Amino acid sequence: MKFTLSWLSEYISIEGLNPDQMADRLTMLGLEVDAVQELYAGLDAIVTAKVISVQKHPNADRLTLCEVEVGDETVPVVCGAPNVRAGLITAIARPGVCLPDGHKIKKAKVRGEVSMGMLCSWRELGISEDHAGIMELDSSLASGLPLVKVLDLIDTMIEIDLTPNRSDCASVLGVAREVAGFTHQTITPPVTETPTPDGSGVDFTVTIEEPELCPRYAARKLTGVVIKPSPWWLQRQLMAVGMRPINNIVDITNFVMLEYGQPLHAFDFQKLAGKAIVVRCPRGNEETFTTLDDTDRELSPDMLMICDSDKPIAVAGVMGGLDSEVTDATTELLLESACFNPVSIRRTARILNLPSEASYRFERGVDPNGILNAMERAVQLMCELADAQVVTGGVDKYPGKKDLLKLDLRVQRVNELLGTDLTSDQVAGYLRGIEIEVIDKGENILQVTVPSFRIDIEREVDLVEEIARLVGYNEIPTTLPTIAMDYPQRDPLRLLRQKTGSIFTALGFFEAINYSFVAENHFDMLALADDDSRRQCVKLLNPLTEEQAVMRTMLLPGMLENIRRNINFQQTDIRLFEIGKVFSFVAEGVLPEERYQFCAVMSGARYPDANPLYFSSDRTDVYDIKGAAQSLLQSLRVQGKSGVISFLADPENVQPYGEPSFTIRIMDGDQELGIISKLTRKAAREFAVKQDVYFLELDLEALLDLPRIDKAFGSLPRFPSVKRDIALLVPENVPAGALLQDIIAHKIENVVYADIFDVYSGKPIDEGMKSVALTVTYRSDEKTLDDETVDGFHNKIVHSLMSGFGGRYREGKE
Amino acid sequence: MENELQRLKAEAEEALHAIGDKAALEEFRVKFLGRKGLLSSTMKQLGKVSKEDRPRLGKLANTIKKGVEELFQDKKEVLESSGGGIVEDVDLSLPGRSLPFGKLHPVTQVMDEICAVFEGMGFAVAEGPDVETDHYNFEALNIPKHHPARDMHDTFYVSDSILLRTHTSPMQARIMENQEPPLRYIAPGKVYRCDSDITHTPMFVQVEGFLVDRKVSFADLKGVLSSFIHRMFRDDLPLRFRPSFFPFTEPSAEVDIACVFCGGSGCRICKRTGWIEILGAGLIDPEVMKMVGYDPDEFSGFAFGLGVERIAMLKYGIDDIRLYYENDLRFLSQF
Repeated sequence: MKFTLSWLSEYISIEGLNPDQMADRLTMLGLEVDAVQELYAGLDAIVTAKVISVQKHPNADRLTLCEVEVGDETVPVVCGAPNVRAGLITAIARPGVCLPDGHKIKKAKVRGEVSMGMLCSWRELGISEDHAGIMELDSSLASGLPLVKVLDLIDTMIEIDLTPNRSDCASVLGVAREVAGFTHQTITPPVTETPTPDGSGVDFTVTIEEPELCPRYAARKLTGVVIKPSPWWLQRQLMAVGMRPINNIVDITNFVMLEYGQPLHAFDFQKLAGKAIVVRCPRGNEETFTTLDDTDRELSPDMLMICDSDKPIAVAGVMGGLDSEVTDATTELLLESACFNPVSIRRTARILNLPSEASYRFERGVDPNGILNAMERAVQLMCELADAQVVTGGVDKYPGKKDLLKLDLRVQRVNELLGTDLTSDQVAGYLRGIEIEVIDKGENILQVTVPSFRIDIEREVDLVEEIARLVGYNEIPTTLPTIAMDYPQRDPLRLLRQKTGSIFTALGFFEAINYSFVAENHFDMLALADDDSRRQCVKLLNPLTEEQAVMRTMLLPGMLENIRRNINFQQTDIRLFEIGKVFSFVAEGVLPEERYQFCAVMSGARYPDANPLYFSSDRTDVYDIKGAAQSLLQSLRVQGKSGVISFLADPENVQPYGEPSFTIRIMDGDQELGIISKLTRKAAREFAVKQDVYFLELDLEALLDLPRIDKAFGSLPRFPSVKRDIALLVPENVPAGALLQDIIAHKIENVVYADIFDVYSGKPIDEGMKSVALTVTYRSDEKTLDDETVDGFHNKIVHSLMSGFGGRYREGKE
Repeated sequence: MENELQRLKAEAEEALHAIGDKAALEEFRVKFLGRKGLLSSTMKQLGKVSKEDRPRLGKLANTIKKGVEELFQDKKEVLESSGGGIVEDVDLSLPGRSLPFGKLHPVTQVMDEICAVFEGMGFAVAEGPDVETDHYNFEALNIPKHHPARDMHDTFYVSDSILLRTHTSPMQARIMENQEPPLRYIAPGKVYRCDSDITHTPMFVQVEGFLVDRKVSFADLKGVLSSFIHRMFRDDLPLRFRPSFFPFTEPSAEVDIACVFCGGSGCRICKRTGWIEILGAGLIDPEVMKMVGYDPDEFSGFAFGLGVERIAMLKYGIDDIRLYYENDLRFLSQF
């Protein structure tokens, strides 16, 4: 909602309030000011000029040489406008003047002729879009006068971001009423007395067939109308609030709509078949309708139409029809001022995709009792500015007439809800200040009559808000609630997510957050099978782009996009993780299943951003991501339901986007908790990533269900441990991990630690063999183990390894 | 013998004091403390003294030797630590050896901070579905179909009745439906609106909060939100409450803080007003209460919602909201 301060001051004094103060007061009343704009800034130096003579430019066909009078001076100006002529009063920008678009006027030679300034068009001065020629001002004006004075251009525009409840302030008078509240004045509306049309004296009829959709319809007839441009003051106010002047009749209906908040429509009376207005829905054969923007609109049976005796002539409250539009030839008008059902108007405007200033107001609700005032105002202006005569009488159908709403307001309730300590008199005083009638019924109960223009006030609590607003939110006390103390239960999933995040940041990963919607072709890019359940996604009906068309069923694609983006910006060493929801389609009309998953990716150097002085520039590999996964599971202390979580190399059972030979399934018995792998070359190519990518996908919610390893104290060892190493030569196809598993499987009580510390193949090792070096630590809780005992254990292990996997060994002793 | 020992001690102390470099120190060590040094040779003489004197003199000799050794060590350390930090092959001006570490996303960091403030005030944290029904997202919040307030929500639809939640407010209805007051909850989560430009991303993160009990007032709302903002930013940050409109609160408020960029004097970011909007709030509308079966005359409460990206933007000075979800390491590593 836009208005100018000059317009506002027609109804109320705004003296003593500068534009910024006005904006601040309105904002604090709930009319949030979005912009305060000084209008026509930078035109101070523009003055009127009179063209004395016009000659052809000797060196250019389209230019003229003019003698221009500016006050006492006469100066030569080269002009290219088609409408320049002797006697014309226009505007000149003299050398040194800067135009609103930044263009600076200089004394110039144009094709050899001196020009001492520029004659300006409306557009060049930023006043309107008119650029057909230079400005043509009132021929009685003298030259040399400041243009801002002549055209009354000193003004400020204020734009309010109007909340949907305050339809009463979609009008300058409504804003004035609010200003009256805080400046303690009363407004002077332009119309104070309105004749009540009773249907007599007119030669047309109005029938409302849909009273639910049209609670009130009033119409009057005007004759002898002369269509012409509006006077400057009217054009100026419309342009200042962003409306284009059309002609006097259209401009007046727009002006009164902005003034009163009541949309009006003028029909060409001679085009009304049967001299009748029928408010109804389309009939079966009325399927399309041409609106005044010359577009065919498809009608649906529940749209409300304004019709004559034969056919629709307007979409009620939304847009008029082309055929009944006011044209230059129009001499007789039917002026409509009506009230329509907000929901119906909103639906229609939506379906036709025709939001308009009129529908904006109707769908928020107009004051049904304000209809006649607005019509009378328009009639008076038409008589004044379009030479019209009004036909005495008119029609006013008001099937939806209701008594004004009366509400009881409990003052105690006001104070309870606001935390204030107001008296009945204070509360009544605030309400009366904004034209609300209040009767004190005693016992702290006020009877409030809600004025018809405040359609948003329906309940006691709405009045409480009015009081709060008028007291001022910042004047209401600030207290803290007294509520029973409690330390609520904490969501274990949220704690798990936080813990996981802190572990992975400690491991050198940055957290990513991606959009929940992705491109559907990600599934193809990852080569998912046609029957892969992850293709069962939730699709958006109205996505912004194809890239964001479906809800994600996995996190990896988003992270691959992140890798590509980072590489494009020279960030090639990447460790990212994301914890986020994925969405699985369940059935039409049913909410999808939402589940938290975890995904981490690694690519580039093993130690990103680490100092090469100390760290190798080795590339990251599958052991890094496996290690990260192990660290996570260890820190979380999760234990498989089966007793142990295993990392299973299973080339037979892999994801289509993971290299089989690099795939590790993280298993709890038969249940897969997650997967580690290297992205296939093909998938990497699809995501335009040229370097190796390792990833970890984990079902985070599955981890939540797993038993935890209790934190339980064990006494510190009292006896020393003994370490033995084994270097074993085994066939190359034996997984080194299997040797380790074998040691653990022995469950020799005194083995407290075992690990692999070297794997080597190549010379001097025989071909087909590799050396695996293991270390085993023995300790007893009862005594110091002697060499003989340890040797016993150790030999047992070594023999088991040899017989189980074959090969030679040598033993090292520390 | 005793004199000899005392003389050696004095001589050694004097010599040590005069030493200024490592070579001289080594000479000293050989001369006094070496296996064939003066102290050792003197101590070998102990066998020749009388039996009665031997324990006393032996003890003395040991004490002296130990004392000289200590002085020698001290001198050695002094010499090694001087010389501008360059001693042997340690160059302490080199950078420390630190393993790379990552960071949480700035939105997560700010979210955790927000939750911590409210959890400190006893609020519980709850989360709801991102894909929501029209009922919870709109109807239960007093936003019927064809209400102009739906214009404030550019909604992504999955079907007629299912959509991506446009705010975290549905959690108000979901929780109140199943529990009795007193209630104190915050509900963080992702929300979606079909709008994308320099100030809007189609997905963003909100935190909804509400408190319901007997006799909860607008003054209480002001108190809790003022505490929150002061803990989140700084205690003397000016803030103001002003009227606004949300269909599910009445009265409704928006809260502004003094512009953190210009300090309130007016700049481009605060549109010259000196204030920046930070959250929306209000007393829970009686209609919302009735729909979940509460008696609005018995219970009252307040609700609020805030955008996490916006708070991160204000705290860290991020000027382009789209950066949040590109996951550029140059961005993520800054926070």
